[in-house]
Amino acid sequence: MNDIRRDLVALLPRLRRFALTLTSTAVEADELVRQATAQAIGKSYLWKGEGRIENWLFSLIRTTHADELKKRLRRGEPVAARDTTRGNIGARNVLDLDEDWSSALLLVDVEGFSYSEAAAIMGVSSETIASCLCAARLNLSVMGSETSERRA
Amino acid sequence: MTTAQPTPLELRLSAFIDGEAGEQERHEVEALLVNDPQVRALHDEIKRGSDAARRAFDDLLKEPVPLDLVRGIRNADLPRKAIRLPDAPSVMRQFKPSGWQAFVGCVALFAVGSGVGYLLGSNPAMPQLSAISAHGSINRDWLDDVIAHYRLYARQTTHLAEIPADRPADILEWLTTNTGVSFRIPDLASSGLTFQGARLFAAEGIPVGQLLYRRTSGDGDPDVIVLSFTKSRPEGNRSVEEIRNDTGLVSWVTPLATYVAIGPSSAADLEDIAAKAAGLI
Repeated sequence: MNDIRRDLVALLPRLRRFALTLTSTAVEADELVRQATAQAIGKSYLWKGEGRIENWLFSLIRTTHADELKKRLRRGEPVAARDTTRGNIGARNVLDLDEDWSSALLLVDVEGFSYSEAAAIMGVSSETIASCLCAARLNLSVMGSETSERRA
Repeated sequence: MTTAQPTPLELRLSAFIDGEAGEQERHEVEALLVNDPQVRALHDEIKRGSDAARRAFDDLLKEPVPLDLVRGIRNADLPRKAIRLPDAPSVMRQFKPSGWQAFVGCVALFAVGSGVGYLLGSNPAMPQLSAISAHGSINRDWLDDVIAHYRLYARQTTHLAEIPADRPADILEWLTTNTGVSFRIPDLASSGLTFQGARLFAAEGIPVGQLLYRRTSGDGDPDVIVLSFTKSRPEGNRSVEEIRNDTGLVSWVTPLATYVAIGPSSAADLEDIAAKAAGLI
């Protein structure tokens, strides 16, 4: 019997990185990963071993995050501002982007998902993913140039 | 942060970089890149953004993962999975009474009904009977004896089995003779279980054979998993899957015997083990 817990532990750094693109702080990201992995274990019978398990897990993290945001809105709790002190300057640049842009960049440029796969994970259309991705790349390129100029 | 919407040309170049452009679109963009230096510059700019994202996300992956997250996943209980175990065979009988048989049946039912009615009407103390039968229904059943034996021996390190695993012929003869159930000793190594030996005991006065296994792989404590069997019992003629006093039970029945897999309630794969054993025993 394939134990999903082994897969989850192996994928944990990547799951946490995706959660960082959705949340404002590392603490929130860790809590999001904790909730999503608990759900994945509880619903592991739904995973039939077809395709990449990452698609399902990233999707689970995104929906868990969306549910949590809705709960907070209902309770009238403010959404925390992004922590701009995370990681090095490159990491700060990508995490400072709008969360949809940041997630699209990670899913397509780093995780290698196609536009349609990334769209399914994020619950948006492929056109939205294409648009977010392009805008994020242009922004990062400009940020990189500005940083280089400041250093010069 | 700039939130300007990308232009159609920027979108085309971005999709081209990702290999998401159609064949004709790809040829058009390639022609533009060859002929137009401004388009080339824009293409390089988008590519730079993409490379910067990769580097930044690679750095994020180097951050240490909190240990409590790892522990939380490792220690989480797996959900119990529904596995179809062999059911008791249903006996098909044709019911086609002749006219004479139907008449005798009706007369007999009338006589029984009249008798019961007379008894109920003439004896006001009858409700006590229901109290007695209700008391009987909450009595211990044979599975409680099976669990009691499991709990008694599962913690034993030196006296786990009555006959050790290295005497399989002795085990087969002893248990088959006394329980009246012929069986094989299932090899459950694929579930990380090593056969330790066997025992014989009585549950509600009927002999029960017990095959004992110890888990030899995995991170947790070495669980003891037991397969018990006895001749078919009228009250055991149904499959049971439940937890009693922190002990998990999965039972199944065949025409000749009733089998039970027993383990700690934390053994998430008990149904799996039972399903395997059902095919091997």
